[in-house]
Amino acid sequence: MQVEKFYYDNKIVKAFGFATIIFGIVGMLAGLWVAIQFYYPEISMNYAPTTFGRLRPLHTNAIIFAFVGNASFAGIYYSLQRLCKTRMFSDKLSWIHFWGWQAIIAAAAITLLLGKTTGKEYAELEWPIDIAITLVWVVFGINMFGTIIKRREKHLYVAIWFYIATWVTVAMLHIVNSIEIPVSFLKSYSWYAGVQDALVQWWYGHNAVAFFLTTPVLGLMYYFLPKAANRPVYSYRLSIIHFWALIFLYIWAGPHHLLYTALPDWAQSLGVVFSIMLIAPSWGGMLNGLFTLRGAWDKVREDPVLKFMVVAITCYGMSTFEGPMLSLKSVNAISHFTDWTIAHVHIGGLGWNGFLAFAILYYMIPKMWGTNLYSKKLATNHFWLGTIGIVVYAVPMYWAGFEQSLSWKAFTPEGQLKFTFLQTVINIKPLYILRSIGGSLYITGAFIMVYNLYKTIRQGSFIPDEAAEAAPLVKEAGKKKEYWHRILERKPVTMLIASLILVAIGGLIEMIPTFLVKSNIPTIASVKPYTPLELQGRDIYIREGCYLCHSQMIRPFRDEVKRYGEYSKAGEFVYDHPFQWGSKRTGPDLAREGGKQTDSWHYTHLYDPRLMSPGSIMPRYIWLLDDELDTASTPAKIRAMRTLGVPYPEGYDRIANKDLARQADSIAANLKKDKIETSSNKEVVALIAYLQRIGRDIKAEPKPIAENK
Amino acid sequence: MLLSFFKKSKNILRPAGILLMLGFVQPVWAAGPPAPSIFSNPFALTLIILMLLLLIIIGILANILLGAADIKLRKSKKNPIAPIAGFMLLFLVAGGNSLLAQNNPATTVTATAAASSIGGMSATAFYIMASVIFLELIVIIVLLVNIKFLLKAEKKKAVVVEISQQTEAEKKPGLSWWDRFNKLRPVTQESELDLGHDYDGIRELNNRLPPWWLYGFYLTIAFAVVYLWRYHVSHSAPLSKEEFENSVARADLEVKEYLKMKGDNVDENTVTLLTDPADIEAGKAIFTNPMNCVTCHRADAGGLVGPNLTDDYWIYGGNIKDLFRTIKYGTNKGMKSWKDDLSAKQIAQVASYVKSLHGTNPANPKAPQGELYKEEAVMKPAADSIKALSDSVKAKDNKVAMQQAK
Repeated sequence: MQVEKFYYDNKIVKAFGFATIIFGIVGMLAGLWVAIQFYYPEISMNYAPTTFGRLRPLHTNAIIFAFVGNASFAGIYYSLQRLCKTRMFSDKLSWIHFWGWQAIIAAAAITLLLGKTTGKEYAELEWPIDIAITLVWVVFGINMFGTIIKRREKHLYVAIWFYIATWVTVAMLHIVNSIEIPVSFLKSYSWYAGVQDALVQWWYGHNAVAFFLTTPVLGLMYYFLPKAANRPVYSYRLSIIHFWALIFLYIWAGPHHLLYTALPDWAQSLGVVFSIMLIAPSWGGMLNGLFTLRGAWDKVREDPVLKFMVVAITCYGMSTFEGPMLSLKSVNAISHFTDWTIAHVHIGGLGWNGFLAFAILYYMIPKMWGTNLYSKKLATNHFWLGTIGIVVYAVPMYWAGFEQSLSWKAFTPEGQLKFTFLQTVINIKPLYILRSIGGSLYITGAFIMVYNLYKTIRQGSFIPDEAAEAAPLVKEAGKKKEYWHRILERKPVTMLIASLILVAIGGLIEMIPTFLVKSNIPTIASVKPYTPLELQGRDIYIREGCYLCHSQMIRPFRDEVKRYGEYSKAGEFVYDHPFQWGSKRTGPDLAREGGKQTDSWHYTHLYDPRLMSPGSIMPRYIWLLDDELDTASTPAKIRAMRTLGVPYPEGYDRIANKDLARQADSIAANLKKDKIETSSNKEVVALIAYLQRIGRDIKAEPKPIAENK
Repeated sequence: MLLSFFKKSKNILRPAGILLMLGFVQPVWAAGPPAPSIFSNPFALTLIILMLLLLIIIGILANILLGAADIKLRKSKKNPIAPIAGFMLLFLVAGGNSLLAQNNPATTVTATAAASSIGGMSATAFYIMASVIFLELIVIIVLLVNIKFLLKAEKKKAVVVEISQQTEAEKKPGLSWWDRFNKLRPVTQESELDLGHDYDGIRELNNRLPPWWLYGFYLTIAFAVVYLWRYHVSHSAPLSKEEFENSVARADLEVKEYLKMKGDNVDENTVTLLTDPADIEAGKAIFTNPMNCVTCHRADAGGLVGPNLTDDYWIYGGNIKDLFRTIKYGTNKGMKSWKDDLSAKQIAQVASYVKSLHGTNPANPKAPQGELYKEEAVMKPAADSIKALSDSVKAKDNKVAMQQAK
């Protein structure tokens, strides 16, 4: 048979590889910066874009979408061509994908620092960027499928199954979770409210971990590990079972982020059991990786690429075992809202994603420059710094999470809470210092890698188009009896559709009843829409990322009810577009904040939290005291809310600003009583209005006595 | 060497099973009241857990070391695992015993709660635990150094041994327990498993699924069925709300018992001025806690948002009963009710501490507010108005901190 000659496109891999390195460093430095704010809040510099609430989304987005995203793309573009024995379908599409993705990252960085956010974790980007992501994702999909269609390899290797599942599921997750109603160019409200928004968000959030941080990276493991170790994959059968089981089961597990919340119990239980069932499919990937190294363990001692991979896969195994354990209600009751979760995700992030990204960079770059790695010793040093960094990061965070949670739950024998919230924070500050040391070690390692790769590139010469040859694919006339899955491996489109159907099931079964069955969210008559001023204040709350440290979800626990008040009910959140339950309690819960403190307390506290709570680690929000509220946006916001079904009266958008001014004046007058002079059009007034409203509606009857005065 | 590496995984599995069981058995524990004794102190608990974890690590490392030593020596052809396991068991039991022995004094010391405490427990207990942890760390380092030494020696030999091993393997493929556990076939028989796939040079084997993995998967599915059945069909496990009500009921009972035993039953009618320095000191600790009184009244009680508490003027009355009532129920000028945060005894202590501050003349005091109050002269009107307020609060059991109208 005639052998065809063709060239692999290395230029696009190089571009994605460089982007991985640059954004990896940026994302890690942003992480270190926010880590330091935990014990040295002054490093926020009292400047809005560098406060925790705005830098934290930058950190997570940079790591997830820029660092791991670009690493996955680099690895996919490298491996897909070689596994399909063809060049990418279209160089033009490759470059549109590359520049489109980098433009999205740049836009994300700018808008997040400006406080333009939807307020939904890991989906913070505003609607124009959401649309851009969709378009670029489609370009990527066309390019990937084009390549698969024109392949010279009859069957699709397991890595490609994972790439296909990644593409189709991320598309579904992104589109469903990003449905929002635009208010202005960079402001929108989530289509969903309260419990429903929470369900959709964590269906997305959990599966962003599954299908952006896990499946593509598993695909990379399936290509780069056997290549680097020069060993056959351990079990084809295991690949099939763990692949299909993984993508089917993962989708269901989202509600485990909402245990003990106002989410209906049945949905919580589904989240629990599907998380537990995920252990085996996840470990299937780990076993297939580690057992592939059978007979090659001597190489692990020598080869930095394999070293990184072994730790990456081990971390994957650990966090996919820990995850299901954290999904058990009794464990979740301790771990949720604490640093335990932070430790857990960083085992995955630093260990699994980071180390695998480093491994493929160490593998691909010498290959593409036709040389050997500049220094194995430096790579080994990077490996050890990274590994020690992970341990020094994770252990203090586990400790902090455990200690803080137990302190929250501690009662005196008299039945009083043993610790104030602030005490529990002050107690764990030393652990935050340790954590940032661990992070610094990890980043130092990354810098060593940059130097090592730079020297490697300098000593080699880049091969932009790598020659290869293979026989073209010919249609076989006679039908041969094949294993059923082999047949599927010849049909990429069938595989795409099968994956889509499989991943759609879980979401549909959880969402449809939550949206349609009324008993899932019992209405509470006294819960009313926000006033225009409160709505504006809420948008400031979202803009400053308050939800990243303050939850608004009192779980039905003795200590939380004692500390914060009556536990949260599903009906309280029906006007919350988007929901603001949060996932971490660096500060206390605010679900019943309304009426707990005076207006002047809030004013002073926002000016400098340490004046009211010495030892607090909250940043100062000085600019809120100076900046004027943008009331021009009020009518559009009211109209948008009306479209979403919030029962403001018809035509209210025209008179809303009058109500707003009236309420603002009364707050300003209230502040004046406590000798605080402020004009009523400042942003802080709106924020105070919102803070004083949260969680009050349910207490509306009987009216608090104070209101009679 | 491979064998010893994987021994770690085996040890992971056992706690896994236990945790799974926990999921079944103990969902109620989550919101339940904390156990008494040293286990209610989170810091001590973490230390104990750390000690146990390190002990487990020591056990694993010792196991690896012994295994490595055994491979190196190759003394007997009999199963070497058994004596090692026996030794390990002894080691663990001994370790566990010594740990418990050290815990005993720790518990008793905490009960008497000396003033010199670290992290909420007695200094002695802390130092004992810290030194145990320190010793454990040293043992770990020693073990690691030894393992590294052994492995290095092993590596040098590897080249020589490999050839002889190969011939041995051809004769009779030796399957370790680990290989059997995973249904692993010897590497030498790999060609039989090769599927003939070739993707860019990557071949695929068709090894059988590790049995423990497969049965583990079935087990989790069984767990799922039983879990859903218990919570949503047979209703034999409590859902969130029920779990909450149970835990509160249980805790309330315990508190009631405790208070009955201890006699903490003062209220605004029976409270008297405490003069015991210990009580005043306790009151001061509560007052100066950053989340309590100081936020509004300043550390020296000179007044900030709230009034000066050291002068002769009182808005809601200045005798001990008035103070107790004001703290307990809050005021309509912005002070919150503290009855959910402080016990009756604690409120009495704070009130007494505040009384003790009278006339301390702090710098920069807030201007006097309220009416002049002289000791022994009961301010009837003020007391009455606050009494009315407190009664209505009691009637409605309103937990809301009383604030200005919104």
